[in-house]
Amino acid sequence: MSAALPCVVFVDDEERILRSLRMLFRGRCEILTTTSGREAIDWVRQRPVHAIVSDQRMPEIGGVQVLRAVAEHSPATMRILLTGYADIDAVTASVNDGEIYRFVEKPWNAPYLIETVEQAARAALRDFAAPRAPVAVRAAPSLDAIAARIVVLDASGTIAGQVRDLLPAAVRVDHATHLEDALELLAEHEVAVVVAHLSSTGGDIADALKQLKRLRPATLAIVVSPLRDSRLVIGLINEGQIFRFLLDPPPRELLRRGLIAALERHAELRAGSHLLLRHAVEAGRAEPASMPGRLLQVWRRIREATGARIG
Amino acid sequence: MNQALPTQATAPIAAAARGDLAPLVHATAPIPPDTCVLDVAELFLQPRHAGLLSLPVVAPDAQPLGMISRYELMRIFLMPYGRELYGRRPISALMNARPLVLPTTTPIDEAARAIAAHIKSPITDDFVIVDGQGYAGTGLVIDVLRAVEDRLGERGNELERAYARVKSSQLQLVQSEKMASLGQMVAGLVHEINTPLGYVRNNVEMTRAALDDAAQLVAAQEAVIGALTGAFAPTPDLDARLDEIAGLRTRVDAAALQDLCALLDDTVHGVGQIGDLVINLKDFSRLDQAGMQKADVNRLVESALKIVQHVLRKREIEVVREAGELPEIDCAPAQVNQVLLNLLGNAAQAIEHDHGRIVVRTQVLDRRVLVLIEDNGKGIAAADLPRIFDPFFTTKPVGEGTGMGLAISHQIVEQHGGTIRVASKPGVGTRFLVVLPIAARGAKA
Repeated sequence: MSAALPCVVFVDDEERILRSLRMLFRGRCEILTTTSGREAIDWVRQRPVHAIVSDQRMPEIGGVQVLRAVAEHSPATMRILLTGYADIDAVTASVNDGEIYRFVEKPWNAPYLIETVEQAARAALRDFAAPRAPVAVRAAPSLDAIAARIVVLDASGTIAGQVRDLLPAAVRVDHATHLEDALELLAEHEVAVVVAHLSSTGGDIADALKQLKRLRPATLAIVVSPLRDSRLVIGLINEGQIFRFLLDPPPRELLRRGLIAALERHAELRAGSHLLLRHAVEAGRAEPASMPGRLLQVWRRIREATGARIG
Repeated sequence: MNQALPTQATAPIAAAARGDLAPLVHATAPIPPDTCVLDVAELFLQPRHAGLLSLPVVAPDAQPLGMISRYELMRIFLMPYGRELYGRRPISALMNARPLVLPTTTPIDEAARAIAAHIKSPITDDFVIVDGQGYAGTGLVIDVLRAVEDRLGERGNELERAYARVKSSQLQLVQSEKMASLGQMVAGLVHEINTPLGYVRNNVEMTRAALDDAAQLVAAQEAVIGALTGAFAPTPDLDARLDEIAGLRTRVDAAALQDLCALLDDTVHGVGQIGDLVINLKDFSRLDQAGMQKADVNRLVESALKIVQHVLRKREIEVVREAGELPEIDCAPAQVNQVLLNLLGNAAQAIEHDHGRIVVRTQVLDRRVLVLIEDNGKGIAAADLPRIFDPFFTTKPVGEGTGMGLAISHQIVEQHGGTIRVASKPGVGTRFLVVLPIAARGAKA
């Protein structure tokens, strides 16, 4: 590693966790540790911090709040939650408010944590180095100018209707009732946002979203689900980098804001391909061998189309 | 209907118990009013009339005229010359001309009331049952009694079943309240355990890796020393070995070893902390252990404080412990734990500002132990105060409180022969006082 070691901030109200982490990351990055979320926020405002790893449950200020403040002051800083207990509210808040890169549970696996933090820090290093207008001063592209395409995968069609109502006419909203149909659309077109309704944890849709993120990192996923299952959401964050997780029925305003933020982010991602690293996902399970033929073919087409687009 | 039967079989009784007189009708052959007394006496002797107290006298148009009882005939026959004097008279002259007449549609309760009002003691008469066409048959008082008894029995069973249902649903409520408070606890406890587990695991893994380095270093140094002292033949790669040693020494030096020692100290601390939590959790998980035991209330308080610690810490609430010297008391520790946990949890939740303070004082008074839990939270509105021990009463948002916490606490304390009292001032705080007897009274638990 060269002189440009990334700077990583660790926040935890347990001093011993910090001591342990300091030892683990010694020599790998410039380490700052604090038991105070507020101090961490101050650091981020004052100097480049490439990644922040925060506990969730802390007395003075919760981890999600810290990460949200960090996202606001320094959007390029990669955010990781390292916590001993994943209650669903904290997990959904970490996606929706903290837009976190990974949700890691204690006790952690050391090689995994090192790799995750280093990966995040690498993405941020490029991001900090890239000469461009900081993300904070988003010259919010006029929505009417975004002629993007959104695919809504939802068996009932209620969400598709809602999405259509919320967006200007320039945004094309396609409705698919089945996964295959949604994937067909994704194979044919460049899709900015996928809004998927998830009604079961075991379904193919969650797996498909994860697979899709690997092939189409610039396509952002908004998941709407009645399932208050933190394990499901953590999987969707770490392996699918979903952009939002909304409980069904989705509050109108949250859905609207989520959609607009996703369209803006998609535009940014298209403009700067280095940003895609920020949405890299963990390698998940291999594709199920029992995948029906048609689905397999659609995936192949998506993969080929991806290759063509990159090449 | 079998006329030879003295009384009705069980099935019609059961049917009547749930309805009217219809199933109880005996098709007793009516006596015309001009039948002479001697002939009527003959009728009473017939086996088919063996169980009947009286026989119906019915006009040809089916209108019931009266009833003649076995008792009345015996009275006449026992009179001197009774048989001779009255034997040839028509029965209509001697019959009870105002018998009890009930329609078939009379509900059994009403029939029982009418019989009670009408019949004299000793019971000498049965009654006449009529339908739309007139005489339908006779009814036996004893059948009605049996039907009523049947019905009461059924109601008793119903009551018993209702009681069992109420009891089991209450048990379920107690259980769900336990689960709700356990659920809140679990979230905190999992975090409390995973935090030390996080650094313990990491520290042990890092120590393991460092020991590998140290072992390599020792081996390399031994090889070099061996070569230098001539213990073994000089190895051609001495320079390489020296380089290796230099490399390893940057990783394994005195400072690194010192760091490792510090990490291991942390590890020991963390393992101790996990152990403490597990012991406390064990105390609380023995919720089924309702049996009376000697227990130190101060220890129970410490244990409860430890369990709610994460909430207290999260809200930066200062806990003032004033532990008096206490004798052990007879109690069900798991239940007392539940009460303490509930009161402490409520106290913590009542505090919505930054200088939260909970005072927990214990002391002996007379032959009782007092536990005072006082918070400086938002207090309870005067209007709510009388209702806080009511089941399902809650001021918490929907889904956050079962409304059973205090009701169950109240019940537990009462079952211990103690009392629980509350004083509160909105905006100032709330004080709960739990008084428990040192020695259990009788077999209450």
